[in-house]
Amino acid sequence: MGYIIIQLVLMVGLAPLINGIIKKVKAFSQKRKGAPILQMYYDIGKLLKKEMVVSETSSWIYKAAPYVVFGSTAAAALLVPAVTNAGGLNAAFSGGDVLVLLYTLALGRFFLMLAGLDTGSTFGGMGSSREGMISSLMEPSILIGLFTLGLASGSLSIKMIMSESLSKVCPIADPVYIIIFFVLVIVLLAETCRIPVDDPATHLELTMVHEAMILEYSGRQLALMELAAAVKQLILMTLIVNIFFPITAVLPAGVPGVAIMIILYIVRIVLLAVVIGVVEVCIVKLRFFSIPNLAALSFILAIIGFVNYFVIGR
Amino acid sequence: MALVDYKLLISEAFSEAQVKVIEKRADGVIYAEADPEFIRKAAKLFVHDNGCILLTLFACDERKEAGKFGIYYAFGDRKRGEVIVIKTAVETEFLSISRDVPAASLYEREIKDMFGVVPQGHPDGRRFVFHGNWPGGSFPLRKDFDRKHKPEFMKRPLYFQKVQGSGTYEIPVGPVHAGIIEPGHFRFSVAGEPIINLEAQLYFVHKGIEKLSEGMTFEKVFYISERISGDETFSNSLAYCQAVEKIAGVKVPKRAAFTRMVFAELERLICHFGDLSGICTDVAYGFAWSHFNLLRIWSYQLADELCGVRFLRSVNAVGGVRKDFLRGKNSIMNEYLDKIEAELKDIMHICRRNNLLRDRTEHTGILENKAAVDLNAVGPGGRASGVRCDARKAFAYEEYDSVAWDEIVLKDGDVASRMEVKARECFESIKIMRQAGVVLLNDELGRTGQASGLNDGCKEESNNAVRIEITQLPPDTWALGITESSRGENVHFVMTDSEGNISRYKVRTPSYCNWPALCIAVNGNIVPDFPLINKSFNLSYAGNDL
Repeated sequence: MGYIIIQLVLMVGLAPLINGIIKKVKAFSQKRKGAPILQMYYDIGKLLKKEMVVSETSSWIYKAAPYVVFGSTAAAALLVPAVTNAGGLNAAFSGGDVLVLLYTLALGRFFLMLAGLDTGSTFGGMGSSREGMISSLMEPSILIGLFTLGLASGSLSIKMIMSESLSKVCPIADPVYIIIFFVLVIVLLAETCRIPVDDPATHLELTMVHEAMILEYSGRQLALMELAAAVKQLILMTLIVNIFFPITAVLPAGVPGVAIMIILYIVRIVLLAVVIGVVEVCIVKLRFFSIPNLAALSFILAIIGFVNYFVIGR
Repeated sequence: MALVDYKLLISEAFSEAQVKVIEKRADGVIYAEADPEFIRKAAKLFVHDNGCILLTLFACDERKEAGKFGIYYAFGDRKRGEVIVIKTAVETEFLSISRDVPAASLYEREIKDMFGVVPQGHPDGRRFVFHGNWPGGSFPLRKDFDRKHKPEFMKRPLYFQKVQGSGTYEIPVGPVHAGIIEPGHFRFSVAGEPIINLEAQLYFVHKGIEKLSEGMTFEKVFYISERISGDETFSNSLAYCQAVEKIAGVKVPKRAAFTRMVFAELERLICHFGDLSGICTDVAYGFAWSHFNLLRIWSYQLADELCGVRFLRSVNAVGGVRKDFLRGKNSIMNEYLDKIEAELKDIMHICRRNNLLRDRTEHTGILENKAAVDLNAVGPGGRASGVRCDARKAFAYEEYDSVAWDEIVLKDGDVASRMEVKARECFESIKIMRQAGVVLLNDELGRTGQASGLNDGCKEESNNAVRIEITQLPPDTWALGITESSRGENVHFVMTDSEGNISRYKVRTPSYCNWPALCIAVNGNIVPDFPLINKSFNLSYAGNDL
């Protein structure tokens, strides 16, 4: 029980920080000081206090969507243990299957897309249609990528996949794992609407994807939507750090061990955020119809990883 | 190419009753008056047979003096630097030339809205300047329309071109946008992501500049000209000053001419850097965005160092420049230019080698050469499509023909070409500024050579050396001023009344020509690429809506 509370607090509480770090990295590359790292916390706090403006033409879907989106994302956050060592994994929800994770997230996305369509505004519809396209393109690669890891660990449960990683000396050195690592990085960029797929900082309605869907939201509902997006990003990042860069050192169970693990977890997540920031600085947003190429790349990598498993074996 | 004598050409093609050459004016403009029936033939003769462009087309309410509306057609021959102005006098309607000269279409619709003079045979009968809220029968540019009159608010539907078929739909965007930009309404007709047709509805920031100028003294209108469009302050006021100086028959001192060139090129640098950084923002290339912005800030700082005003307001003056701004500023200017040039070289090197950036910009938003010529696309937008349209070469003014620089013309017409044209023009601008700086410095030091004869080696700081006072304009005359702003060719027409005040001030900014070109260039591209294409033209709303 304690682990579950830690898990939820950690995932929801840490998520906005990641955006702050990525923005800071980008600001440095642009010779700017940039916004404070904690800016997103301030933003969410401000939004929670603000009143909401709700379109007259919207239905119950519009009002329900932020709660469904945030609820499903928070539920998904429980499936991906942040603390894998020091007894954390044992306490993790053992039914946390890869498919459950992906389709809990998909439930949120489904409602996000519906909400974009619901107000009848042009940009919401455009955003939803683009989100539909991108997510359907990315789904096969993330599925095959995670299935391959499932093959390697003999189970589709996230708990088993992570404990398999723990048993390896250096999982990223494994030919199967390294390929799936790149698959998941591409999926991370695409699923969280980062450059090169979408520009989270854009003000151009016509090019938006995620921002276009939540364009009509304001106040508390917008805060939930933004927070849900940040938590989803952290879930995928947690998958990456805990599968590919686990802390294998044996730590005492109990409070000191868990505290050390949490610190190490945050350190790894921050490092990954810095890497994402650097990647974003170096690359340009893709032409919209080039996104299938990126999806194809990640899919092919996933297939290679999958075949690799049979060729090389365990 | 053999020189065409347009006076001869006109008298050969038409009888005196049809088109009559009145005079070749002191500033070289050929002025003719035509029978309204023959204007189409004349337009075809100039545009189709001799490769002229339609510089501007406008009406003047001359009912008080002559009982009729005067319609003025200004044709320009860029190869030879000739300008021909033809006037016809009409009552309630005039013959449209839009079917022969597509570039005339918007001017004619504007005349219809503003004067109530109807172009006969115009392919598009819709309103242009006015939206659905303006009542019929009110024509603001007629002399009897009171500026303070507030017409009733009407509610009429807007008409856009309809695209039909399964799967097509319309995307209305604006006039209020998500970013802090000027207002404009865009109606996209799309099939999924690809754009079939785009119509832009502008004039949300119509300020009534032309009406406001009527009856004002030329000194006051100067300030209006500076405020037409924020980032083209200098080139707009320069075009106005040129027109007024031509009316007064004044040639500005050489020192003023070189000073003007420096500031005009500095303004170009500022705008081009802004455009380049804008293009990079739209493809989310944060690194290049910030570095182009840095260059822009350096250019602003240079402007601040040179004249104390970052936006170059009140630097110009009718008859020259307000002060001898560049005295003793040569070394600081060169210092900044060296810094800017080195940094620009580096960034462009990185940008040109970035394959992802090239993938986004190449083959995006292609403006075909044919469309560019037909619509008279000007500025970098035209030059990227292979049109030699730089007014600094075509209608050389100030001292542009005495310094060495190249007109940048590319042929692909895509976003990448426009970006490249702008970047290379920055280098040319730096070249021009350096040369002008040397001339000014030699003049200060009283050296002989290139600088001999500039103000007789005047050393003391005297504003007489850079400005000729004009106190009064001759009555009932007119002139055209043409400059090249960062967006392209700027044409200002100034006419004086019987007291020497301004009776008509017609401004044609480059944005006016390029908005239709943008709408053509967008067709066939996908919706997410529109902001990028839009940015590569970077047209002004304020400069278009006047």
